[in-house]
Amino acid sequence: MKFAGLVVKSVRRNKRRTTLTVLSVAIAVFLFSSLRAVLDGFKAVSAASSSTRVVTLRSTSMIFSMPTSHEQTIRSTPGVEDVTYANWFGGIYKDPKNFFGQFAIDPVSYLRMYPEVILSDEDKRAFIEDRTGCIVGDGLAKKYGFKVGDKIVLQPGIPVYGSQDYEFTVRGIYRPGASNIDHQSMMFHWKYADERSTIKGQIGWFVARVSNPDQATKVALAIDQQFANSAYETKTDTEQAFTAQFASMLGNLNLLLGSVALAVVITTLFVAGNTMAMSVRERTTEIAVMRTLGFRAATIFSLVVGEGFLVALAGGVLGALFARIIVNAEALGLSGGFIPAFGVNNFNVLVGLGLSAFIGIAASLIPATMASRLKIVDALRRVA
Amino acid sequence: MGLIGSYNLRSMIVRKGTAAMTAGGIAMVVAVFVMTMAIAQGFRGALVSSGSNDNAILLRKGATSETVSAVLRPQLPLIEALPHVARAADGHALASPELVVIISLPRKSDGNPANVPVRGVGPLAYEIRSTLKFVEGRRFTPGTREVNVGRQAVNRFSGLGIGSDLKFGAATWKVVGIFTADDASFESEVWGDVDLMQPAFQRNGYQSVTVRLADPSAFESFESAVVADPRLDLKPSRERDYYEGQSSTTGALIRIFALFVTSILSIGAVFGAMNTMYAAVAYRTREIGTLRALGFSRLRIIAAFLAESVALAVVGGVIGCILALPVNGLSTGAMNMTSFSELAFKFRVTPGLLVGGLVFSAVMGALGGLLPAIRAARLPVARALREI
Repeated sequence: MKFAGLVVKSVRRNKRRTTLTVLSVAIAVFLFSSLRAVLDGFKAVSAASSSTRVVTLRSTSMIFSMPTSHEQTIRSTPGVEDVTYANWFGGIYKDPKNFFGQFAIDPVSYLRMYPEVILSDEDKRAFIEDRTGCIVGDGLAKKYGFKVGDKIVLQPGIPVYGSQDYEFTVRGIYRPGASNIDHQSMMFHWKYADERSTIKGQIGWFVARVSNPDQATKVALAIDQQFANSAYETKTDTEQAFTAQFASMLGNLNLLLGSVALAVVITTLFVAGNTMAMSVRERTTEIAVMRTLGFRAATIFSLVVGEGFLVALAGGVLGALFARIIVNAEALGLSGGFIPAFGVNNFNVLVGLGLSAFIGIAASLIPATMASRLKIVDALRRVA
Repeated sequence: MGLIGSYNLRSMIVRKGTAAMTAGGIAMVVAVFVMTMAIAQGFRGALVSSGSNDNAILLRKGATSETVSAVLRPQLPLIEALPHVARAADGHALASPELVVIISLPRKSDGNPANVPVRGVGPLAYEIRSTLKFVEGRRFTPGTREVNVGRQAVNRFSGLGIGSDLKFGAATWKVVGIFTADDASFESEVWGDVDLMQPAFQRNGYQSVTVRLADPSAFESFESAVVADPRLDLKPSRERDYYEGQSSTTGALIRIFALFVTSILSIGAVFGAMNTMYAAVAYRTREIGTLRALGFSRLRIIAAFLAESVALAVVGGVIGCILALPVNGLSTGAMNMTSFSELAFKFRVTPGLLVGGLVFSAVMGALGGLLPAIRAARLPVARALREI
């Protein structure tokens, strides 16, 4: 530790070079932490998905609907505690580009099923009482400036809902209590949409709560068996399995983001390694003098590694800090729906710092070996 | 430039370790750039090559994709009667009423279900889509529960081989043929008789009608003929334009991601190049002084060092392109946001993309070399000569 001063001195020797290297490492750590955060966002959704909820869809595909009569059958399935249902609306808010999730729900049972949708009692009551009322996520409210009492007009995007515009009144702004709830969605009365549908009584999916999570798969199977060989066969999965499937359809994210992250690390290793090599080469004579004075090879080795470590860590701190401030769900205001909200958390920051330490040490290994194996006589004879 | 050019080139070779590392950093950036753009390129290519300039697709007015469109049964004969529509040898209009629904099939790779589009088509669909070729089996016979499957779908999902039975829409369908379509999105689909798909999926009517135009250049007059008929509240588009639009959402998403990552990454590589070039200038202070004393102008010095930096970066660019080449033709899948289904496509490393990668590396080299080169040119001659 007594050589800390020496390490700092050598770091400050060529300020411009150190700055450039610190910045490159900072950028790498910034990118790396952000990519990790995206992956974590997907993981968090499936982790927060409840294992006591099962989702029932048409077996052919989620774009087909089921008749309302399925509700009673599901409710009477042994092991089922509660049932609610919803439908995808797919309306257009002013411009098709303004995409966000719109769900036609049964307010009372849906909010009972999803306590994670946090709404004040007052707003909840107002929403339930107003047939054309709706609730929006806090993220969506922020994005479009929706306030309680505002009117939202949606143009139906799916022919089943007719061609006339739908007008809604914002009755509440909900807060997501867990990451499986999207904070940029809109929910309204299923009845309102159903009244104007060309095909009545259609439901996109049912959600049922099972009393015992260990029985979830069994109950799911029991639900499907009741509809087997009917015109509306179903496929029931736990919520967890359902979200995992959805994420996997976005493509192989793990592989794609993983290889990009690897490329980031390798590029930075090249840059940092290069700097360290240059800095050692520049000081060949100096190192030879130190060796002559009695500094041991091991000391020289750790001095160089220490220098690399310090520079890279400085970059790491900078990059991770930046990522923590800039890449958070609120600042980005990402549109919800398919891509879950994500942000760099403290753990990502730690991983980024660890990565920068690794880069610093790995990049300085070869230069440090070079420096410690220096032949004093040759080095002293050499002119710069 | 002869002497000074070779001087700079040779100095680069002297510092091969440093040069290799700098080039290596740039190579990684270019490789990432080319690979991610190859995904965007492949995705777009798969959709765009689905559309032909000779065809037009009719959708409900205001519909942005087939999924949200509707064409009524009585509208079909009205379209077929239009003189702009090409005829087959037997006089039938080359028009295919279509319906796309999504079914869920397990993926071969991980067994997880994914959405696969099933397209109900008219009997003349294969005459209209001339790029479709059968690699195995035969066309489905209209009026029977037979289907044809695209090659990509066969490769990605289980239970689609020839002769296998497929259960969807409360019926069983037999796979009788496998087709290719020049890597177009049709290769990810299952095709069958539209008139049997309608009842199977409780649909009344079609979603779109695709026609072969008798004269592809007369699209405008076809369009005005459709618009003029009040019984047709449909909007025709050139098939190619339609599919181009379909690729825009997901395609743009991939492209933005690619640009975001590579541009941030490239800043790091530029800093690396800058470091290297500053060091190069510092090592050669005396040589630069000599050159200046010999009468080489400041501009020549700047140009020489810039050229060195660009050359270094382009070497990296070439390596990056070579690194990225093996992904060409690799097939992968991604969800198409406009159809909600999985679209299989191949990474496409096009010559244009490679040129783009090289230009990108040259730009990185120029940016990294500029400041050090200016520094080299500004060195006071007398002091530079004294330097050891």
